[in-house]
Amino acid sequence: MHRTILHLDLDAFFCAVEEQRNPALRGKPFAVGGRPDSRGVVSSCSYPARRFGIHSAMPMARAIRLCPDLIIIEPHFGEYRRASREVMARLGALTPLVEQISIDEAFLDVTGLPGTPLAIAQGLQATIRDELGLPCSFGVATNKLVAKIANNVGKASAKGDGPPNAIQVVPPGEEAAFLAPLPIEELWGVGPKTAARLRQLGVQTIGDLARWPERELARMFGKHGADLARRARGIDERPVETEHETKSVSKEITFARDVADGDTLRQTLGSLVEGVGWRLRRSGLSGNTVKIKLRWSDFTTVTRQMTLPQAIDQDTEILEAALQLFEQTWPRGRPVRLIGVGVSGLEEAGRQLGLWETERNSQSRRLQLTLDELRDRFGEGVIRRGVNLKPRRH
Amino acid sequence: MRASVLQENLARGLSIVSRAVDSRPTLPVLANVLLATEDSRLKLSATNLELSITTYIGAKVEKAGAITLPAKTFAELVNNLSPERVDLALDPATQTVNVRCGTTNSNIKGISASEFPMIPQGGENDVTMPGRLLRDMINQTVFAAAKEDNRPILTGVYTEFDGDVVTMAAADGYRLAVRTARLENHSFDKPLDMVIPARSLAEVARIIDDDDEEVGITLPGERDVVMFRTEYTEITSQLLEGRFPDFSAIIPKTYSTATTVYTTDLLRACKRAEIFARDSANSARLFVKPPNSPGEPGEIMVIGRSAERGDNEGMIDASVEGEPLEASFNIRYLIDVLNVIPDERVVLESNGPSHPGVLRPDGRDDFITVIMPMSITR
Repeated sequence: MHRTILHLDLDAFFCAVEEQRNPALRGKPFAVGGRPDSRGVVSSCSYPARRFGIHSAMPMARAIRLCPDLIIIEPHFGEYRRASREVMARLGALTPLVEQISIDEAFLDVTGLPGTPLAIAQGLQATIRDELGLPCSFGVATNKLVAKIANNVGKASAKGDGPPNAIQVVPPGEEAAFLAPLPIEELWGVGPKTAARLRQLGVQTIGDLARWPERELARMFGKHGADLARRARGIDERPVETEHETKSVSKEITFARDVADGDTLRQTLGSLVEGVGWRLRRSGLSGNTVKIKLRWSDFTTVTRQMTLPQAIDQDTEILEAALQLFEQTWPRGRPVRLIGVGVSGLEEAGRQLGLWETERNSQSRRLQLTLDELRDRFGEGVIRRGVNLKPRRH
Repeated sequence: MRASVLQENLARGLSIVSRAVDSRPTLPVLANVLLATEDSRLKLSATNLELSITTYIGAKVEKAGAITLPAKTFAELVNNLSPERVDLALDPATQTVNVRCGTTNSNIKGISASEFPMIPQGGENDVTMPGRLLRDMINQTVFAAAKEDNRPILTGVYTEFDGDVVTMAAADGYRLAVRTARLENHSFDKPLDMVIPARSLAEVARIIDDDDEEVGITLPGERDVVMFRTEYTEITSQLLEGRFPDFSAIIPKTYSTATTVYTTDLLRACKRAEIFARDSANSARLFVKPPNSPGEPGEIMVIGRSAERGDNEGMIDASVEGEPLEASFNIRYLIDVLNVIPDERVVLESNGPSHPGVLRPDGRDDFITVIMPMSITR
């Protein structure tokens, strides 16, 4: 029996949330992202903004040149996460087989559920619109690969200025035919390099690729070639994975201007650690390896890591290790362009309790718990430890 | 220097002192072992400056002298000589030792003995202890010492002499082992305590033979070192500086569940669970069930689980007193203790899943270990 897989994509998700926060933004060209004077990029842009040729990941400075009236909104990630959780909860109410792949994207396996696949997608679209006020699109197919591509195609062919609200269904057996006319870049695993090599061979579309014998592709591209051959035929047997196994949790930041001041760098590490620790604890994980990453002005990057005897999940513990690594790695006064911190060696097992886990220790754990609860409710930026606050300029 | 020794004696002596040679020594001469004639004996010494080991082997000395030879090269060569007489002859001009044994002939380049650090040696025995007792005390504590040195003091074993009682204790922050014993022929008017590197003590335990009835100890006096000596071997160790944390307060005085089981039964169950627990930071779960009605046995179940590889559940009859218990432990910590308990039965005492557990031999109060559990819920 074939499977029924849905791919959900929230339409211009960050913008949709911002429009809820401020309805005056509706119908206006605006973008969520960093300020143009600080190397910011577009995280998400409204559909009216897209008419100017603006798209996500574009440098904000360039977006402004394309549309001088562009309204720039600073991101409110806490809000997006909260909205995202609401959406995922609606999906989870339908089936436990939900694989969230990013804040605004998910796969669902709805095989065997009552109703046609189209009706199921329509039902979810209506629920998410009526209960949460968010537009979304669906791709429907027998596997994840085709469902995702179907969604891209459906959204691209939507008419009108507003969100696409598309639903694109690829019936069983028509996967290869559906993919055939599409350019090869639509296929997962085809980056610019592979695309260029394929073009040299005269391969333009996925259909062209499907006509190449698998053995030939394997000879030219190795194992990757064999995968390509199967994907080009619309074959993908990967299951919807409900538990996304996290290998590491990390955060990094690129400075607007390179920073050579030790205190600022240490303070930045502190606030990055807060984010990393929070995500760890929310996932019920702890890790025994702490890593820092530094990028100098010339773009060379160094990473240093240390492995601890026990897995940790507390900000203070992570920061202690991160600072130790930092002092070992940073030559005093050397300008830093990017700084990052991560925790890996993750495990779900319970935390090893300490013999001298004093009252003070457990108090600090309780404080952490309270901070986390506040962040869960109001978003990541709601509260910071005093030491991690930037000094206010007078 | 010109001396003859038996290959077996030389090989054994080198294997004892080589333990003090660091794999990456800070000075070239510290990679070497000192050979020095002393009356009709050959003295072998090695040191890493913290730990020094000296042993004596019988020799026929024709010409007194001393030299240091690279420990690794020399030991490897000697281990591959036939069990015969070995003739050692130093050429002082080149600091090279000619090693002759049967038909093989080797020359090993050395470093002058004058470059070898002075090792505090000799001195009176301040106290003596039966060899086996000292070895047991060491083996029953060193495993609990910290391996990493982010808290250097915890890499040592707290050793205290008070009245006629000697106490050894080690803790790595997650578990604690305390062993006490009574001295038969000595009493201290004033308590004396020190922290000896666990590594040094492990070497002391290793050199004690079953025939070593007494081990002499020279306590720190003018020199801040402790010395242990058996008939032929002497170990000198520096002490760790700092205050060992107070451990008496963390030994629970009460319990809500006490489980008595056969040591080997529990050890085997733990080893089986460990096979699977490895994937989850050695975390294994223990379920203790009191008997349903008086007169019946209770039981303890040890469970190791791996998401990828499977699981193991082992049920053991136990004498259970008190409440039912469910707790998670690092199973390695339990195994480490059970490995050094020779007694037939052990007792596991607990006050609940987030309180320290006590594991000790049944019916004895001179050896106790405290093991912190792993939290079950966050």
